[in-house]
Amino acid sequence: MTPKKALEFKGRMLSLTRARILDPDLAAITAQLQDFARQMPRAAQGMPVVLEAEMAVDLGAVLAAMREVGMQPLGVTDGVLAASARQWGLAVLAPDGPGRTGRSAGTVEPAGAPAARRPTRIVTEPVRSGQQIYAAEGDLVVLSAVSAGAEVVADGCVHVYGALRGRALAGARGDAQARIFCRRFEAELVAVAGVYAVAEQMQSDWRGKPAQVRLADGKLRIEGLDG
Amino acid sequence: MAKIIVVTSGKGGVGKTTTSASFATGLAMRGHKTAVIDFDVGLRNLDLIMGCERRVVFDFVNVIHGEATLRQALIKDKQHDNLFILAASQTRDKDALTADGVGRVLDELAKDFDYIVCDSPAGIEKGAHLAMYYADEALVVTNPEVSSVRDSDRVLGLLASKTRRAETGNGRVKEHLVLTRYNPARVQKGEMLSVDDVREILAIPLLGVIPESPAVLSSSNAGVPVIANKDSDAGRAYEDLVARFLGEPREHRFIAPEKKGLLGRLFGT
Ligand SMILES: Nc1ncnc2c1ncn2[C@@H]1O[C@H](COP(=O)(O)OP(=O)(O)OP(=O)(O)O)[C@@H](O)[C@H]1O
Ligand SMILES: [Mg+2]
Repeated sequence: MTPKKALEFKGRMLSLTRARILDPDLAAITAQLQDFARQMPRAAQGMPVVLEAEMAVDLGAVLAAMREVGMQPLGVTDGVLAASARQWGLAVLAPDGPGRTGRSAGTVEPAGAPAARRPTRIVTEPVRSGQQIYAAEGDLVVLSAVSAGAEVVADGCVHVYGALRGRALAGARGDAQARIFCRRFEAELVAVAGVYAVAEQMQSDWRGKPAQVRLADGKLRIEGLDG
Repeated sequence: MAKIIVVTSGKGGVGKTTTSASFATGLAMRGHKTAVIDFDVGLRNLDLIMGCERRVVFDFVNVIHGEATLRQALIKDKQHDNLFILAASQTRDKDALTADGVGRVLDELAKDFDYIVCDSPAGIEKGAHLAMYYADEALVVTNPEVSSVRDSDRVLGLLASKTRRAETGNGRVKEHLVLTRYNPARVQKGEMLSVDDVREILAIPLLGVIPESPAVLSSSNAGVPVIANKDSDAGRAYEDLVARFLGEPREHRFIAPEKKGLLGRLFGT
């Protein structure tokens, strides 16, 4: 007799939003959350969030405020929040996301440290709705279009030489230098090192044009490529 | 060796069965020995559109399960004696189809047919997967609206990855876009996507544009594929489509609104 199979483990990339608490003032946090939810209700609804802080905060109250606007706090990054997170039944994640451990906050990697790199993955077929392509430890080059409903992900940069209509995630393991380049920017979602924007949040100036997406001071920037 | 062509779409109700019936009939009218198979197990209706529903004794599932021979199950068309229909079972469910069984039936058909047309069910589950699995070419039937185009895009991804050709690295399934239920007047008003919009998104060659036409319903009620109705716009559009498929160049018609002013006609906009 074979035992009944009750669980199936599946690896899946999830995009989490990191929320870094800059000021423990609960009223300010609540106000900002409500503001965010008003401006981007679709983004806020169900948004999976990991909290980070370097100072003590009233975690229970912050969690309540997030849930109030529809967000789903899933965990905290290891640090001052760890102890109370465990009390609230939340996950405690290593600071640099899954798969990386052992780097304490505050240390800066020496510039030019050789990161693991694999050969660039080149995709010559269009990436169609429902398909997901992941280039581990390297760059991803797509020669034609990425359809709405498709997802292209790389630990390095993502290059799309056709229209980018689906989702593109660069720096999937936290490389903040990674960028997204495309010939025609019509993305549903873009992310670099976990910082993401959905179509509703993107400035429209570069829609339909060649563009790149990069992180500058922790914020996503979408810029034209011509000129 | 027969060519296997799947008529597929993802989204339901876009015109796959209508297209399968007229396409198969059109190939037969041009002298090619053609079989058309209904893969929509549980929801037979190719036989209705082909007007042979009252002559179904055995079906595709019976053949797969060895309950009937192919010869017994193939229904000869009344008008064209080089056209045969293999009906779907109404009483079984989609699990009655197996990859091996489908493969065996197609192999046997391939021995003496020129073309085998597979009318896929909607969706991307088993039935649709088996209908496309052995295909050499695909007619991707799309309506000019966003959800249909999105589903067709999805199906194109499956054609490129989940077919025998893809899995064995034996070339790729040749893709053709068939845009059906096209209404140029509504396109002009911005209520529907245009031919160019759809081509731009799907980026595959356009085989034909079939206009929205009352002739489709009246033909299907009469049990005659619309291609046999030579006076109808949809019938002529399907005839063009078959000609193009066989390599004959034909201009695309029925793309511009019908009652154009003199200027529109002069400048062909
Ligand atoms: N060009 C057309 N003009 C007007 N009506 C059409 C046209 N093509 C199809 N139809 C109508 O649309 C409906 C669905 O057509 P059909 O059965 O061919 O679609 P299908 O894709 O096979 O559907 P299913 O996914 O259920 O198998 C039918 O009522 C048919 O008469
Ligand atoms: Mg059908």
